[in-house]
Amino acid sequence: MAYLVRHYIFTITVLRRANRNIKPAALEDSTFEPTVTLLIPAHNEEKVIGRLLQRITELTYPKDKLQVIVINDASSDQTGAIADNYRNKYPYIELLNRDKSNGGKGKASAMNDGFSKSTGEIVLCFDADYYPQKDIVEKLVGEFIDPEVGAVQGRVVVLNEPQNIITRLVALERIGGYRVDQEARDNLGLMVQFGGTVGGFRSSLLKDLHGWDEAVLAEDTDLTFRIYLAGYRIPYNIDAECYEEAVDNWKAYRQQRYRWAKGHMQCFFKHSWNVLKSKNLNVKEKIDGLLMLNVYFIPILALFSMFIGLYLILLGSQLIDTLWFFIPISVYCSVGNFAPFFEVGVGVYLDGRKRAQWLIPLLIFTFFYNIPICLKAFCDVTASKIMRRKRNVWVKTVHSGSGNCYIAN
Amino acid sequence: MGRRLRRGQGKVKALNDLFIVLFGVVIILCFIVSFRLINIQSVIMLLIFNALFISLSFQLNGAFNVKLCLLASGNVIGFCWNFIFYSFATKGTLFFGKTFGILYTVFSPFLCSIWIVAFWSLSLTVLHREGTK
Repeated sequence: MAYLVRHYIFTITVLRRANRNIKPAALEDSTFEPTVTLLIPAHNEEKVIGRLLQRITELTYPKDKLQVIVINDASSDQTGAIADNYRNKYPYIELLNRDKSNGGKGKASAMNDGFSKSTGEIVLCFDADYYPQKDIVEKLVGEFIDPEVGAVQGRVVVLNEPQNIITRLVALERIGGYRVDQEARDNLGLMVQFGGTVGGFRSSLLKDLHGWDEAVLAEDTDLTFRIYLAGYRIPYNIDAECYEEAVDNWKAYRQQRYRWAKGHMQCFFKHSWNVLKSKNLNVKEKIDGLLMLNVYFIPILALFSMFIGLYLILLGSQLIDTLWFFIPISVYCSVGNFAPFFEVGVGVYLDGRKRAQWLIPLLIFTFFYNIPICLKAFCDVTASKIMRRKRNVWVKTVHSGSGNCYIAN
Repeated sequence: MGRRLRRGQGKVKALNDLFIVLFGVVIILCFIVSFRLINIQSVIMLLIFNALFISLSFQLNGAFNVKLCLLASGNVIGFCWNFIFYSFATKGTLFFGKTFGILYTVFSPFLCSIWIVAFWSLSLTVLHREGTK
């Protein structure tokens, strides 16, 4: 119910603001141009890295204030060669090669290595499969005028949405998350989640926090909480759009969600108590933070509640018949696929889309698909807690470069 | 000329009011008939649909009458959906026994959510707003 209420408040907030045409106060100061480092971790990304680097050369931010570090993380394909080609042509692009002995241990490890070589006052992160707007650096960096801002998050839009049914469903989830969830959190003064990419940090803060935690799979969520607990905030800039290549098959979807679920659960164990006793967070931030940390436990709880309901039906109680009716419906309305259908629908509406919402009923299948994924993640986290194992296996999302055809030349 | 225009406007307003009353009656009838002919669960479903539709869709673009018409249509579709599945379940239980009834009870919330979500999603197309995407 807490999730239902939360998502309902999010949806109504964003809808009302859109109806009143309230736009966020512009943070425009043309003199504010700090030095910026772009970190691009890449592990076997030969099909997409060239597209991103080409786009980086087209960015409108002054190149003398830009440092681009491509972290070639033990790639066995042509990623290094492509990046090297760009390094030779453009002096602000640097290449950091990590060999197999110290590389390939996950994104957090690669980012820490890249960060140690960075010189910018602001550090922005982009995954290799992303395709940013030309003026995205200005939009993201502009938020750092406010000294209370520790990090910033931009909007993620799916590039290869028309490819197949999976990319279309992922696009709907992204719309729910970035058009409504993040926007509402920003408007309501709650905890905006740093998504690991299309965003950045104040370099000095990141140094104080000792960079990314390599023991956590959801290193982005972990940093979100560490930033808020340190007394800083993360604004969300919906105008700073970046296009991602979404997973296009069920196996990749499962692997990605498993990593997110396990990482979130690790963050739950790491930060829940800190959130509760923090003096830097107000009550509503604490509630929102705890709900965010718990979100991947919900499909498991839903599964158990459905089994209990089923068992009671078999006992033959008429009252349970009616109660049973509420359990699956409220579960679907509350979380759906971590964004209830009405939230996704309103997001699609606000984006001015006409037909994308027709697929919303199919999100119920991804919800069912997430139940075993979260259950497995929970079992693995519990087992590693009991056995005191800290090592994580990072399964990288494979990018096929299928998004290339959707970029207009 | 002015009097004729005012008379025409008056007619349109009266027709509008008539439609509002008509749609309201349809919605109330759906509730009553669902309760009498089907079961309490179908009434719950209609309540969920109406609550969702009124609180969210009525804030979107589009004329009030169009939204009310969509709401009434949703109620009629919901009633028909519930009635068909309930009749199917009743006959199925007679032929195949109690197990069929239990299976129906288990799956009916998901079946109902299909029409609610599908109708709500389709109604967004009718009420869509111009955007940039």
